Amino acid sequence: MSCNTSVTRVQLPPAVDQVPRVPVHLMPCEIEHDGPAQVSQYLTATTKDCKQEKTVSFRGRGLKGQELSCPQGYTGLVLKEINKPGSDQEDRTVKLTSTFDKLTYWNLETPTNSDDTVVMAMDWPELAEAIHGPVED
Amino acid sequence: MDLSSFESNNSVSCRLASQIPDVCRTEDCCLGIDEAGRGPVLGPMVYGICFCPVSKKEELKNSKVADSKTLTEDERENLFEKLDEAKSYVGWALQILSPNTISTSMLQRTKYNLNALSHDTAIGLVQYALDSGVQLTEVFVDTVGPAEKYEEKLSKLFPGIQVTVRPKADSLFPIVSAASICAKVARDRVVKGWSFAEDLGEVDTDYGSGYPNDPKTKAWLLKYLDPVFGYPQFVRFSWSTAQTLMDSKGVTVHWDDDDEDREKAAQRLNKKSMLSYFGASSGSKAQNPTHETHRFFTERRLKNLNTL
Repeated sequence: MSCNTSVTRVQLPPAVDQVPRVPVHLMPCEIEHDGPAQVSQYLTATTKDCKQEKTVSFRGRGLKGQELSCPQGYTGLVLKEINKPGSDQEDRTVKLTSTFDKLTYWNLETPTNSDDTVVMAMDWPELAEAIHGPVED
Repeated sequence: MDLSSFESNNSVSCRLASQIPDVCRTEDCCLGIDEAGRGPVLGPMVYGICFCPVSKKEELKNSKVADSKTLTEDERENLFEKLDEAKSYVGWALQILSPNTISTSMLQRTKYNLNALSHDTAIGLVQYALDSGVQLTEVFVDTVGPAEKYEEKLSKLFPGIQVTVRPKADSLFPIVSAASICAKVARDRVVKGWSFAEDLGEVDTDYGSGYPNDPKTKAWLLKYLDPVFGYPQFVRFSWSTAQTLMDSKGVTVHWDDDDEDREKAAQRLNKKSMLSYFGASSGSKAQNPTHETHRFFTERRLKNLNTL
């Protein structure tokens, strides 16, 4: 088995907090598209906010969503590949293009709930800290 | 007809109604039901009811409310004015089903088809009239589906009311054509004054009749196709015309409840389908067992990240 020697480099700008914060949506479907989309014109403009719950339609299907914060002490990063390696021997470089500290996740028709996968996933950093962190006294 | 409550949020279903004439609460009444805009790929479908005392049937007939489809838009507007002048004994109510309601119902996980949606809407409007104190004795309904079954269903739901379901009832019973006029006028006005919730700038309103075979409608659908989002909510996504265009010119979107072949879905997601384990060569996972990930992580879809 050959050893993968390629390295992935993350290019960070001098000041991470100068990078634009962007709204991020986690969709309950797979969209075969990687590139710009008119999110604010279609999705944001038609989102209805009712109490804690957001509703919107995507491709004619009803979605229910909620805003979710990144775990405390964490920042979400949006990375973009700036040169794709031709082989797995070459290094990859990804660039930090924007950051987020909260995201909106959407369920297909189902009301959002504390049992939703992405909500529960946010438990991990705290648990990881508890089991892997330094032991004090 | 004040459409402002629908126009303030045209993504949901909305009920509009006239005042209930006093005489309708004391005298035996007949009620007609018809719909407008069932076929178009654009805009709402509107259900209308119109009711008046049985004793006023002749008067209504003399006001020449004919089948709204044989009338021009202007003639329908005029007849609606006439109905409004007769408000001392004629009442009406409408249910506007927004195109977004139609799309999300028909494309729901548990499909809610247009016929079921239509029946439930009609039933809701009759119930509204009853709840408002209208003394209903006769109900006349226009239908596109099988009339007998529908008639039986309505008769069972509303015992004591004589229910008549007929194809083309709008040309047979004046009270049905009155309902048809109300529904059609509302649909025309809504389509004409549609305000796009999407931020699309100036939208070309030359969309024709909204029927899929209208060349103007077709041209509009081609012009306003967004590769990712498809269409504004003005379009019924559940119509095959819209779906075919999105399939051919938009990007593909997969949902977990798609009717996709399981094997194909697994391939796409680069996962093993159950079936592959029954094949001659077993997968690498079987030969090279790695430790199993704890449920805590699989439940949260958390994975170890070695490479980006």
